[in-house]
Order: sequence, then C-alpha cells, then structure tokens
Amino acid sequence: METKKITLTINDIETTIVKGTTLLSAINKLNIDIPTLCHHKDLTPSGNCRLCVCEIENNGKKELVTSCNYPIMNSIKVETENEKIKKHRQNLALMYLGRYPNVPIIQEIARRCEAFDSDLYKSELSETSAKACILCGRCIRACEEFIQEKIISFAGRGINRHLTMPFSEVDPHCVGCTSCAYVCPTGAIQIVDQMNNPANPELIRNHGMKVNAEMANLDPYQCRMREVGTANIVEVMDKYDLLPVHNYKFGQHVDTPKIDSKVMKKHYFTQGHPDQCWHGCSMACAKAVDGFKLKTGPYKGHKVCVDGPEYETAGGCSNMGCFDIEFVIEFNFYCDTYGIDTISMGTTMAFVMEAFEAGVITTKDTGGIKLNFGACHEVLECLHQLSKGEGFGVEVGQGVKFLKEKWSKQKPQFKSFLYDIGMEAKGLEYSQYMCKESLAQQAGYTLALKGPQHDEAWLIFMDMVNNQIPSFEDKAEALYYFPLFRTWFGLQGLCKIVWNDVSPADNKKHPPQQAAKIPEHVDNYWKFFEGMTGIKLDEEKMLNQSARVHNLQKIIGLMLGRNKLIDDIPPYRAVGPVTKEEYESRKERYDKELKEKIGIEPTSLSIEEKMSKVREYRMNQYHKVMQAAFKRRGWDQYGIPTVERLKQLGIDRPFFIKIVEKARHEAVESN
Amino acid sequence: MITVNNRDQLDWTENMTVRDILKLMGHTYSLITVTVNDQLVEDEDYDSFIVPDHAFVSVFHLAHGG
Repeated sequence: METKKITLTINDIETTIVKGTTLLSAINKLNIDIPTLCHHKDLTPSGNCRLCVCEIENNGKKELVTSCNYPIMNSIKVETENEKIKKHRQNLALMYLGRYPNVPIIQEIARRCEAFDSDLYKSELSETSAKACILCGRCIRACEEFIQEKIISFAGRGINRHLTMPFSEVDPHCVGCTSCAYVCPTGAIQIVDQMNNPANPELIRNHGMKVNAEMANLDPYQCRMREVGTANIVEVMDKYDLLPVHNYKFGQHVDTPKIDSKVMKKHYFTQGHPDQCWHGCSMACAKAVDGFKLKTGPYKGHKVCVDGPEYETAGGCSNMGCFDIEFVIEFNFYCDTYGIDTISMGTTMAFVMEAFEAGVITTKDTGGIKLNFGACHEVLECLHQLSKGEGFGVEVGQGVKFLKEKWSKQKPQFKSFLYDIGMEAKGLEYSQYMCKESLAQQAGYTLALKGPQHDEAWLIFMDMVNNQIPSFEDKAEALYYFPLFRTWFGLQGLCKIVWNDVSPADNKKHPPQQAAKIPEHVDNYWKFFEGMTGIKLDEEKMLNQSARVHNLQKIIGLMLGRNKLIDDIPPYRAVGPVTKEEYESRKERYDKELKEKIGIEPTSLSIEEKMSKVREYRMNQYHKVMQAAFKRRGWDQYGIPTVERLKQLGIDRPFFIKIVEKARHEAVESN
Repeated sequence: MITVNNRDQLDWTENMTVRDILKLMGHTYSLITVTVNDQLVEDEDYDSFIVPDHAFVSVFHLAHGG
C-alpha cells in the first residue's frame, strides 16, 4: 500500500503531512509565522524574495532552502529560525528597505527582521513612493495562472528591470479580471475603471478573485473546465448511466469514447482562452475548433471555426446514436449557423429516429431519407432541409410536440407509443440527461416552467447516485430551493458555471445537504449582488426575490392557457422503460424494484406484466413527488399558486388573483 | 456487509479501504466526499483508511454540470 504521509520535525515539533506538501505549508499548519513577500496563497510559489528561507537537515546534510517552493518528499528536520537564518533575512530586509524605504509591507518586514538602517543600501535606485512596485512578480504569476494570459511581464535586466505590458501599451487581450491588483502587496497596481457604478467594487473584486484562485488551483483536479469546458461530463454521464442514448432509452454506450472530451481535446480543440462572456471571468469554459473542413451543406469544403462542442451538443448526438466526432462538430457548426438549438434538434431527431425504427414513419414520410439511429449524414441532410424550408426538414423543425400530435392523428394505433417516447413537455424538448432512474430529476425537468431544461433543477446526482434526498419531502425541498436559486442568479445576469463547476477545497466541511448548495459560492453571488446594489442578501431574501418572479412566470403561463396540470406530467420515457429492450437492459434494477418496493415477485410475471406494474408504480411515485413539490412551493393540488402564497410574496394584485382563480376553476372542472 | 449511501450493500473484506469501495462502486467522479460512520475521510487517506465491517459509508457526489 503506497503511503502518502510523511512525518517530519519542525522546530522539534513532530508533524505529519501529505508527501509533496511545501515546507511553508507545513510550517503554517503548525501556526508558525515566518516572513514572506513574493508568496501568495493562491499562486504557485516562486521563491524569488528568499525571505522564507529555513534550514533543513536531510539525511544528515544541512542547507538553507526557500520554504515556499520546497516540496517535502522525505522525512526531514527543519529549523525556521536560528542565527544563520536571521542573518540571511536581515540582510535581505536591509536591501529591500534601502530600495523601497516607504512601502509599508517592506517596513513591516524590516521590523520583523530587525533591519533598521534604511540608508545602508540606499542608492540611485531607491524609490520614495509608498506604492512602489517591488518586483515581487506576483502580478505576473496571477495573470498567467488566474487568467492564462501574459498581459504583464518584466522587461529590462538588472537595474533596468521593470514591470510593463508589451511595448509599454495597454494590451487589448486584458479581460479586466483585476487579478494583478488583487495580489499586489504594495498597491502599485490599482483598478481605475468602476463600470456600472457599483456600490462596493472592492466587495465584487474580492469575491471574484476567490473564483479566479479556485480556477487556477482546483479546476485542473476537478472539472477541467479550462481544459475541455462542459464536455468534461460526456464521459462522466456515460460512466454513471446518464448519457442519453437512442432517444433516452439507455444511459451509456460502448462508443461514447469516440465523442468524449478526451477526443475533443486531443484532436480538435484549438481555442480555450477566456472569451470575456462574463467580464473578468477566468473560467475559460468556452472552447473552439479552428480550421474544421465541412463535408456537407452550403459551406462544404470550407474551413471554419466552430464554437464548441459543449456537453449538450455531444449528448444530443449520443441521443441520435451518432458517435462520430466529426459529425458532432459539423452538426454543432450548422446548428449554430442556422440559429438552431443543438438540444432541441438532437432530441427531435432522436424521436424521429425511434419512430422510424419502430415503423411509425417510413421513407415515404421522410422524403426518402433513412433515419435509423446513427444516420449521421441523414441528420445533416434534414438539418440543411430545415434551414432551406424544404422537405421533411420543415416538419423536423417544428419539434417533438408537433410531430407526435401530427403522426398520432395520421396513425392513431401509434398514439400512446408516440406520446410515451416523445421527449417534450410544455412544447420544449428535454435536454440531454437520462432521468428515468431519478424521481427528483423527472420532476426537476417536467415542473420547470419553461419546459424540461435542466437549469432549473439538476438533481440526478443528489437523488439517484447519492440517495441524499430519499423522502418526497426531501425531494420537494430540493425542488423548491434549486429552481429558485437558479432562477435568482439567472435574473441577476450571473453565470451558473462559477457556482458549481468549480468547488471550494473545503466544501467537504459542510454536511451533504448544505454541501450540495456550495455555500461559499452562493455567498459569492450574494456579495456580487451587494457589491452592485448595496443591498445585503441572505437565503430567505434571495429565495423570496426569486419566488416573486417564479410565481409571476407561472401566472403568465396560466394567463396564456399554459402551465396546466397536464403540462407537468412527463412522457413515460422520462419516468421508466417504454419498450421491452429498455426493460431488459436494466432488468436487474426493475426486477429488484418490483420485489423490494412494489412487493411483487417478478419471476411469476411476463415482461409485459412487469412493465405494467413498474409503470403504475413509477407514475404514482411521480404524482406524489409532484404534489409534494406543489405544496412546498405554496401551490395547490393543480400546481396553481394559492392566494395566500401571492400575499406572502407581495404580488397579490387583483389582476393576478383573477388569473389564478380562473385557472383553478378550470382545473377543478377538467380534473 | 457494509452499506453505501443508505442503499447499496457490499460484502466486507478484511483491510478494505475507502479506495476499494470506490472501485467496487465504480465511482470515478472528481468531486466526491466520503464519510465512514459519519467520519470524514480526506482524499489522501482513501488508500489507507480501513473500513470496519457493518460500516455506513456515504459517497457524496457534488453535482457539477447541469
């Protein structure tokens, strides 16, 4: 068994650290304070100021080392302070003091190191400014590590060494992340732009910097957003049986590695720098493919730049059974070029393909196009037709709801099948997660007011994998908090990615229910809000702000004759196995469910009977979780806000009350 | 026998580590928090932390994406 722990002594105190920990971290862990200048907790240590020197004894050999960048690889003996070290630090401090006599941090270090004679090393290089640049290099490292740029650097040698931008001009590549100013120990770099007149720019900057530091230090080991963007979850979803395959029948596929993030990174991604979609953000999640030669369509033969692919695009392609990375990129390009959402296109085509394979439609309906799963070229043909308003593409362009209604009228014998497999609710196609094994996610999707988009509530891992919201009440609470939280930051124009696509190193300190919220990052958002508006927020205030809008969205839906109870019921494919092959693919799971949860011995039943029992049970469970969620949201059994709830939220205007009461009356009549 | 996430049961073996459990469960996720009988296990201890028989193990995946 490999040991990763090392025991060492520091000032005769024995301590244990993880192999590779820097000596300075080990020293600080024992609450021993030694002077540092160029070191910053969020930056890679450089050791250039040399103030943190300590003496180590390694296999009987003593030497002075800079502790900030000395990785402990074996058991050593350390002294953080002795006469040799003190003399070394004092000499350094005297030199710093001679050159920067009025810089507060230098004065403080000089005091600590008992360096009092500021004239000893005074020279023509001495700078009298209290905010002089001391050439510590923190800003250069911050630019490179936080934002992956080299906007500022040292120029000149020896006494001419100074900090500058290229050619001493403002570099247009600077995204204004302010990382350099954040880490500057002297105030030599200051932020002069205060866009949008924020109430407290410092508050915004400090919390933005926390995210930048996490991206630099944690992202490489967490989600790899800088490396591959959202595509990182292609392989994760496949591994956890959640990647939609063949119109959400299955959750993984043997060919997924052909379209996962590793392939994209190795052979295709050529761009991945911060694109400033959010001012100053260092997440750099956007990726692009340069010089991609198109094989079809009006730009056939052209070499183009493709923005993506992101996870949802790859998921849409796995849903169509198209595991060809060059198809994924071409599909991505043409959807973008034609102004088509890759999610809706992917889900619609997956539905069409299943209908084609089931014999609901034939080449007579598609204008001769054979649309089996995996028919990459044919998908592109439909896409080009759609853009030109020609042929079968015109029908595809109208989405799943249109198609299932049309074909059900034409071929009523297939109606129930089409409604089971047509993955839409409220007229919107489901996004690319296979939710049938997560009750909370089924509701998260289907109760979303805009339709089954995952950005209101993405609860699959909490529910299906972690089993941390087992009761209906637990699920209802998650279906209350997460949609409101996500609606809230969307309303503020804040990006979701920096909430949970990087996580604080110590998020584990929270119990799981709290950890799932990532409290430090929720706090970041509150501080961004406070920094802009001057208004302090807490969870209750935030949720109430959001609930007003969320309920108004619901009321507007009701006013338009939408958002009725029927619209909150998912197609059965989202809930359980529609076909025998689906049941067989997870037979062990479903048989276990029959036996342990439903109380029926599966061996005595035919597969049709088993599917029927599972369906009855699962739909019943869905209705229960839906009702629990309605109750938690302050809505009635028809999913309509109660007048009491509108009063609580301060939106009980007569016009709104009239709408909800009318909708309630109609719901009572029709149910 | 040990219980994972109050649901899945695994046969216990002597000197079973947290890493063994993650391997058996097929958990390869990058943002995982593990507790054994409510005691937090740090990442660096996955190879050395011995899980006792009848333990309740929580393998909490912090959702990203979505």
